[in-house]
Amino acid sequence: MTFGPFLFGAPWALAALAALPLLWWLMRATPPPPQRAQFPPTRLLMGLHTDEQSRERAPWWLVLFRALAAALMIIAFARPSLAPTAAAQAQGGRTLIVIDDGWTSAPNWSEVRTAAAATIAQPERSGAPIFLLTTAPTVPARDPGEALTAGDAKSRIARLEPKPWRPDRAGAARRLAQTQARFDHIVWISDGLDDPGARALEQVLQQRGPVTVRIPAHTARAIVSGAVTPQGVEARVRRAPNGEAFAAIAAETADGRALGAAEIRFGPTEFTTGGRIQLPPEIAARAARVRIVGEQSAGAVRLLPAGSGRPFVGLIDPGGAGQPLVSDLYYADRALQPYASLQRGGVGELIDARAQALILPDASLISPLDRAALARWIDAGGLLIRFAGPRLANNNDDLLPVRLRPGSRALGSALAWETPLAVAPFPADSPFSGINPPADVRIHQQVLAEPASIEQAHVWATLSDHSPLVTARQRGHGLIVLFHVGAGPDWSDLPLSGLFVEMLRRTLAFTARDAGAGERAISGGPYVAQRVLDGFGALAPPPPDLQAIAPERFALAQPSPAMPPGLYERAGVSAAIDAARNDETLTPLALPPGMTRAGLDAHIERPLAGWFFGAAALMLAFDLFIALFLLGRLPRLARASAAALLLAGAIFAPDVRAQTRDDPTLVIRLAYVRTGDARVDRTSASGLEALTQVLVNRTSVEPGPPIGVDLTRDNLAAYPFLYWAAPSSPQRLSDTALANLDHYLAIGGLLLVDTRDAGRTANAGGRPAQLMLAGVDVPPLALVNSEHVVARAFYLMRSFPGRYASPRLWAETASAASARDGVASLFVGDGDWASAWAGEGGVDDRQREMSLRFGVNMVMVALTGNYKSDQVHVQTLLERLGEQSR
Amino acid sequence: MLLDARRLAAAAPGFHGRRRAGQGEAFWQYRDHRPEDGARLVDWRRSARGDRYYVREREREAAQTAWFWIDPSPGFDWSSDPKRTTKLRRARTIALALAVLLTRGGERVGALGSPPRTGPRGPDRLALDFLTPARDDAPPKSCVIFLSDFYEPIETWRTRVSAAASAGATGALVMIADPAEEDFPFQGRTLFREPGSQREALIGRAEHARADYAERLETHRRDVHELGAKFSFPSLLHRTDHAAGPTLALLIALISERFA
Repeated sequence: MTFGPFLFGAPWALAALAALPLLWWLMRATPPPPQRAQFPPTRLLMGLHTDEQSRERAPWWLVLFRALAAALMIIAFARPSLAPTAAAQAQGGRTLIVIDDGWTSAPNWSEVRTAAAATIAQPERSGAPIFLLTTAPTVPARDPGEALTAGDAKSRIARLEPKPWRPDRAGAARRLAQTQARFDHIVWISDGLDDPGARALEQVLQQRGPVTVRIPAHTARAIVSGAVTPQGVEARVRRAPNGEAFAAIAAETADGRALGAAEIRFGPTEFTTGGRIQLPPEIAARAARVRIVGEQSAGAVRLLPAGSGRPFVGLIDPGGAGQPLVSDLYYADRALQPYASLQRGGVGELIDARAQALILPDASLISPLDRAALARWIDAGGLLIRFAGPRLANNNDDLLPVRLRPGSRALGSALAWETPLAVAPFPADSPFSGINPPADVRIHQQVLAEPASIEQAHVWATLSDHSPLVTARQRGHGLIVLFHVGAGPDWSDLPLSGLFVEMLRRTLAFTARDAGAGERAISGGPYVAQRVLDGFGALAPPPPDLQAIAPERFALAQPSPAMPPGLYERAGVSAAIDAARNDETLTPLALPPGMTRAGLDAHIERPLAGWFFGAAALMLAFDLFIALFLLGRLPRLARASAAALLLAGAIFAPDVRAQTRDDPTLVIRLAYVRTGDARVDRTSASGLEALTQVLVNRTSVEPGPPIGVDLTRDNLAAYPFLYWAAPSSPQRLSDTALANLDHYLAIGGLLLVDTRDAGRTANAGGRPAQLMLAGVDVPPLALVNSEHVVARAFYLMRSFPGRYASPRLWAETASAASARDGVASLFVGDGDWASAWAGEGGVDDRQREMSLRFGVNMVMVALTGNYKSDQVHVQTLLERLGEQSR
Repeated sequence: MLLDARRLAAAAPGFHGRRRAGQGEAFWQYRDHRPEDGARLVDWRRSARGDRYYVREREREAAQTAWFWIDPSPGFDWSSDPKRTTKLRRARTIALALAVLLTRGGERVGALGSPPRTGPRGPDRLALDFLTPARDDAPPKSCVIFLSDFYEPIETWRTRVSAAASAGATGALVMIADPAEEDFPFQGRTLFREPGSQREALIGRAEHARADYAERLETHRRDVHELGAKFSFPSLLHRTDHAAGPTLALLIALISERFA
C-alpha cells in the first residue's frame, strides 16, 4: 500500500492506530505508581489531601509523548519504506529485468545494482515471479529462463559483475524471442549507449510488455587509442554526448604505480579528444597502461603492450664463442638487463620474434639476405643500434647513419699525436641532453664519418674535439643509431662507465611501439593470455579455461567471452586486446516511442521500519528517565543527565582501557605476586623498584617499572621474573591460581618464593611455603651452594643475603628441570630479600648491596638461564682439552 | 548501648543524697543527745571522746524506684536514615543513662513489668529487662518515665497516663522523634505506611502536604503536653539527630525533686 511517498509492507498493522485514543485514555487515567515510604506517624497523615490525590494524573505532555512513541511503534510494524516514485511504477505481476552488464555499465554499477534491487522490491511484496535477462553473458546463456523468486533474483543480482565487453543485445533479443513469455512489467537497466543490436532488443521487449528503460545520467567513456611517444604518453578519449566533459588520464606502470597524469576537457560538441601526459622518454617507456582516472571500466583502460614497459631488444650475435669480458655484446647485455627483455640470436630469428630494437656490434658477417630483412625491418619502424669495430672500419655498408671513412682513428697510441679524448657535453637537442658525461671516460679509438655525410644525420654526442661519437638517422619509419666506438672496452672506457647505460636507455626510448616493426608472416604459436581485464578495468589472471588465440584471429579480435581484453603473449612478445576498439562508437541510446524513460538513480526504496523502531525505542528509554523524575527518584536533573551519559557511554564507548593499557610484552617488567597483605605488597613493590633501578644502572637489562600481578586473573607469561613474598597469613591458592602458576613454571618463568622467616623455621618446606605452594606441582628442591649458576650469573657470590644475613635458598634440581635445559624455575628462600632491596628492616649498606647483587643474579638467571653455568665448568673443559692435545 | 549510657551519665549532673537524717546506712551527722532519745541511741564511741553525749544519725534512705516504660511498637524501632540511631535505641540509651545516675544515688530502677534493680549492676540488669515485654500498670506512688514517640491516639495516652496517675505515680513523658517525622522531607506522589501495621496513606504531592502535617503534629504534641501537665507528667521533646546530653539533663531536672 502506498501513502504519498511512503510504502507500507504490512498496512493492516496501521489499524492499530485506531486504538491510540484508548491508550491515551488509559494512560491519562493511570497515574504513575507512587514511591513508597515507611513512616511511623502515618496515622497523622490519614485523611489528608484526598482531593489532591484524585487530581493526580499523568501530565498531558507525558501522555502525548508516550502516545507518540506507541504510534511510531505501530507505524514501524507496518514496515514503511520511502519510495518517492513507487506510486508511478507500482505494478506487480510478472516482471522482467533486463540488465546491460557490459563494461559500459561498469562506471555506474552500484546504481545499476540498486536499481535492480529496487525493481525487485515491488514483485517481492506481491510474490510475483521475476525474470532476469543479461545482455553480456560470459557463457552462452539461456536466460530469461524460468521464473525466479525475489530471493533468488536478489542473490543473482548481487553476484552479477560487469563484463569487459560491450553488451550483445542482438543475442539477448534472440534468446528472448525464443520464449513465448509475456510480462506485466519490463525494466531495462541500460548503459545508455546505442549499438546495432539495440533495435532488435527494443522491438522484442515492446512485444512482450510495457517497458521502462533506466538510463544513467552519465554514460561510460572510453580510451580509443594510447601510445608512448618520445614526448610522453598520449591517449584519445571518446564520450557520448551525455558523457562527462572532463576527464583526467593517468599513465601507470605494470604494477599499478602512477607515472603521471593529464587533464582532458571536451568541447561542448566535441566527442573525441586527445591528451598527452608529459613524461621523459625513459619514464614513459615504463608506462604499461593509461586509464581514465576515477572511471572504473574496462573501456577506460588502454593497455600499452610494448613489453609492459620493457622493450624487447634483440642482440645480434656475430657467432663464435668469445670470452665474456672481452665479448662486445657482454657490455650491452649487462647495461640493458634491468631495462629490457633481451634475446640473442641471428637477424632473421630476432625479427621473427618481433624485436623492437636490435643491437648490432661490429659485424660484417651479416649475410645479404639478413641485411635485406634488416633494412625492411628498419623501414617498418625498427630501431637498430650499431657499434663500430675493426670490421666496420674496413667494410662500409648502407645501414649506417653516416658514411664512414675507411679505417679508424687511434688516439693516444704509441704512434699517435693526440691524447685520448673525453666526451663533450651533450648538445641540447640530443636525447642525451641532461646527462653529465663523466670526465674520466676516455676514447682511444673511433671510426670517423665523412664530413659531408654528417649533415644528413643527427649528431647525438661528440668528443671534446667535436668529432661525432653517436650519430643517428631516420630510415623509413625506423631509426639507425651508430656508436662510433666499439661495444667492448678495447676502443674506449665508455662501455665500462655508467654513462653507457644511460645512453643506451635513452636510445631505447625510441623503440618502436607499434608491433608493425618487422612485419612478416609469422608461423606457429598462438597468443596466450597473461592477464585479462575485468569489467571494472582491473587486471587479473586469466580464467583457466581460456583458449589460446591463433595469430591470424588475434589481429581481428573483438572483445568477447572467448577473447577477453587483456595482455597476451606470443614468443616473448606481448600484445593487447583492448576493451574499447579504436573505432568504438559511443552514441546515446535511441528509444522508440512507447518506452518509458527513467533515470538510473531515482527509484530507491528505503526501508524505514528500522528508523521508526529506533526512534520509538529511544523515546521509551527517555520515558524511563521521565518516569523516574516524576517519581522523585531523580531529584536533580544533573543526576539524570549523568545517568544518561553513563548509559550512552556504556553503549557507545568500547573498553578504552584495554586499548590504552600498555602491552606487558613490549618491555621487561619485574613482577611480584599481590598477596593481599598490603604491607608485604608495598615492600615487594619498593624492593623490586630498587632492584629495577640497580639493573638499569649496572646491567644492560632495563626493565620497566615493576608490577603487581594477581595469580588468579593476570596472564603471567609476559613476566620473566616473579617474586612472591609470604604474606603474614598465607592461604591456599584457588584452583585457577594454581593452574596459572603451574603453567607459568612449565613455560619457563622464574618464581622466587620468599618465606621471609630465616632462622625461625627448621626446614625448607617451612610452614608458609607449604601453605603457599600447596597444590603447586613443586619439583624436587636442593639447597643452592656457591657452585650454582645463581651464584655467578652476574656477580660471584658465596651467600645470598637478604634482610637476614645468611638465609637459605633452595632451587629446583637440575635433573628435575631437564626439560628446560636444567634451568631452575622455582626458587624458595627465606631471606626477606624485598625488604633488603628496599632498604627496610635495618640492613646495613653492605648487606643491602650484597642482597641487590643477589637480585641482579636472580634476574640474570631468569633472563639468560644457565648461560653462565657453562663457565662454571670452564676449568674442567680446559683440563680435558689439555688432556686431548697431549 | 550501655556504654553509651554510662558515657552519657558521666557527663550529666548527678543526683545527690536526701541530705536529711533518716533510716539509712550512710553516716549523716552527730548531734547532741536529747532526753527523749534514750540510752540506746547514744554513740558511745564518739561520746567517750568528750563530756557530752552524741547520737549518730544516719542519712534517711527512703529508696525510690524509677520505672521506665519504653514504647514497644514497631514504629518506634525505626529511623529514616539507616545511619542514624533508631528512636527505640535512643530511648533506651537515655533510660539507661538515667538509671546509671539513679543507682549511683542509691535509688532503684526498673522496667515496668520486671522487678526493680539496684546497685552498680542495676543498669545492666535493666538493659536486659528492656528486652522483656512491658506492662502498663505502674506501682503506686512511684516515678514512671514514659519514653515514646506518642503517635498513638491521645485517648490511648490519656488512659495510660491517668491510670498511672491514679495509682499516685508521677514522672515524665519523653517524646522521641526522628528528624524525618519533624521535617517531612518527602516529595512527589508517596504511599506512606506505618511500620508493623497495615495503615497506609497515599499523598499525591507530599511536598504540598508538609504544612498540614506540621500543623497536625503540632496539635498532637500540644495535646500530649497538656495531658502530661494535667497529671503532673511534665513532657519534653528529643530529636534523634540531636545529642542526648541536654535531654538527659532536662529530664534529670524534671524528676530530681521526686528524688530530692
